[in-house]
Amino acid sequence: MKRILLGNEAIAWGLINSSVDVVSGYPGTPSSEILSTYQFIQRQFNIEAFAEWSTNEKVGFEVAYAAAVANKRSCATMKQVGLNVASDALMSAAYIGNKGGFVLVVTDDPGFYSSQTEQDSRMVAKQARIPVFDPANPKEAYHFTRHAVELSEKFETPVMLRSLLRVCHSRQIVEIEEPDFKPREGKFVKDVSRWAALPRKTRLIQAYQQMERIQELTQYNWEKLIKPKTLGLKPGKLLILTAGTSHNFVLETMESLELAFDVLKLDMPYPLPIKEIRSLFDGYEMVLVVEETTPLIEEQILTSKVKGKLSGDMHLVDEMTNDKLLKAFQKIGVYQGENIYPNLPYQGEIPDRVPKLCAGCPHRDVYFALKKVFKRRAVYPSDIGCYTLGINQGVIDTVLCMGGSIGMAIGFSVAKIKKPIVATIGDSTFLHAGIPPLITAIYTKQKFVLVILDNSTTAMTGRQPTAEQSPQIDIKKIVEGLGLQVLEYVYENQMEKTVDFFKAVQKHSEESELPTVALVREFCVLDKPMMLEKPLPGQFATVDQDLCNSCKRCMVEFNCPPFYWNDNKKIEIDPNFCVGCGACMNIVCPTDAFIGDDR
Amino acid sequence: MSKIKYQIVATGFGGQGTVFLVKLLSICALHNGVECLGTENHGMSQRGGTVVTDIKIGDFYTPVISLAQANLMIGLHPEEALRVVQYLSPSGAIVVNAGKDFPKLNHPTYRLDAFHLAEKGVFNIQALNIFMLGFAISHVSDFPFSVREIEGAIYEINPKIAPMNLEVFHLGLSQSP
Repeated sequence: MKRILLGNEAIAWGLINSSVDVVSGYPGTPSSEILSTYQFIQRQFNIEAFAEWSTNEKVGFEVAYAAAVANKRSCATMKQVGLNVASDALMSAAYIGNKGGFVLVVTDDPGFYSSQTEQDSRMVAKQARIPVFDPANPKEAYHFTRHAVELSEKFETPVMLRSLLRVCHSRQIVEIEEPDFKPREGKFVKDVSRWAALPRKTRLIQAYQQMERIQELTQYNWEKLIKPKTLGLKPGKLLILTAGTSHNFVLETMESLELAFDVLKLDMPYPLPIKEIRSLFDGYEMVLVVEETTPLIEEQILTSKVKGKLSGDMHLVDEMTNDKLLKAFQKIGVYQGENIYPNLPYQGEIPDRVPKLCAGCPHRDVYFALKKVFKRRAVYPSDIGCYTLGINQGVIDTVLCMGGSIGMAIGFSVAKIKKPIVATIGDSTFLHAGIPPLITAIYTKQKFVLVILDNSTTAMTGRQPTAEQSPQIDIKKIVEGLGLQVLEYVYENQMEKTVDFFKAVQKHSEESELPTVALVREFCVLDKPMMLEKPLPGQFATVDQDLCNSCKRCMVEFNCPPFYWNDNKKIEIDPNFCVGCGACMNIVCPTDAFIGDDR
Repeated sequence: MSKIKYQIVATGFGGQGTVFLVKLLSICALHNGVECLGTENHGMSQRGGTVVTDIKIGDFYTPVISLAQANLMIGLHPEEALRVVQYLSPSGAIVVNAGKDFPKLNHPTYRLDAFHLAEKGVFNIQALNIFMLGFAISHVSDFPFSVREIEGAIYEINPKIAPMNLEVFHLGLSQSP
């Protein structure tokens, strides 16, 4: 059947049609739709399988990997920075291997669209010595997923599918088979020397086996994937080696510039048959390598003929575009024509549009109140999630990584910075990586305030459920289990109550020698079931133009999307975007200019 | 029809429904037997930040629209429209939700103050994307899909709310710049 599929949906279909019945991971843009689509297909076709989010990527990896050790076909899915969290398990699993097919899907984000780093997960595959597929579009994502499962089973090794943002979030018409779901039986065959290989003797054996395996995979890559494509090559001026989405940019730019060079796409950029590939260079004047994000292929096959990132002819940072390729063609002297991709932006001024917390989001009130109570002087480490947008309200000083807010709060406390420390973290991030640093903070007796913003969902990545959906799991009990008193506040749109709560938190912290944990029970305005159960109060706001004195405090400290400056240099509320939360009508304006809008 | 090559950049800010336009037009492509590539922003950009989506209909390789290549830009907000004009080909058309102060640019421009119309109660602002698509189709002569094809896709994407969406689509069709 032909379907329009998002790359991530194509990957999910690839898993279903490989009879993968264990899928586990942690949400993160641009990977999140893989597992949720799998769940959707699962429900649609009444497929019995395990497809669940884990508390973090390492757990997600371990769950899926162990299922594959137990003969199941499985998949772990995560974004590139999530792979950092899971890499401890990966590096070891790469020696041990698996029984059922195990595919590790990792999505990269060149151009930093929604990530802290631009890292190339293929480099991690190389470090782990596992093969990696690099699909160019949703069609390939579907087929390579299936191929990865087969290959993993054949060679008993984890196989990575590295997908890029422009695959994950691109749509294409893909031909897929009807599901014919035949999952493997779960069985664990004891083999201590393999599954519990210890240093040094048994691990050494596995290391030699791993080298043999990678040799065989290199041969496989040459014979099955590369060699058939080399038959049409006709040596001339330039050979272009491509991988992943870069292949599309190369073909499109060449077509537009009316250039014709040999192009060889490497579907599996590691492990590469280096000698065989280099032998293809004979007869060509130059070889250009085009890949994202780091020069993985280029470093492997480098000779004096090779041009690319290492030679300074291709860009090193930011995502691929046709105009960057055109410049590379000019640099290496194969294109002298005009620049058909001129960059002629609008010359007038366009105000920046920064992402903001949604209208009605309780996070906004929490940050407003924090600033009111702890002032500018406090240092505010924060974390990864929607609430990072509190940066617009001037209440975030550092953002590092998942769970980093608490580790950094400890470091600042240890450094005796002589300022109050107020860390903010969401519920999903706290469960993901916030508990170990909190334990460290307690037994090393660090003093800071930790605000847990609990909306019971992974909001930023599309509202995936968190562990809190289980009645047994409650952040309050977790923190109390560590011996701390939890100051709890159920969010209300009355700002004075929110401010009073944080005054109590401040007092508690001043009198304590340990971390003070404030737990704010919130909701997510994007979560439809949650909002149906308890809708916003419908208190729409407008601005009394006589009372507004243009002090801009509401813009700086509250920063609600419907606020804008009108032609009289006064604040106005766009009625199209006010959601009626009523929060701004209390304390936010020093002159009480926000008033009810009777409509 | 098979020879068609048409590139549309649709832009707005998070929550305005630009991604919906990609879905809708790709359904039209599927039914027409034409290849189609689209790409969109998720995550951070959906929190009211700029959202740019590219739709390429016909035989293309990458879903990303390059500088100076788009045949049409649909801007759901004036500032967002101005932010992406460099992606329009010299003859590329602009369909934009903007007031009279939208600057004069060297492109065929079809301007409609949809925010004003929504305030007057002409249509529900939630359906701005479909309203502007209707407006685009009635004025852009080389648009690759017909009114009927779009209607079919609107129905397919969500039959439940299709009557409401179709009404807004037709309201958009009947607007003059």
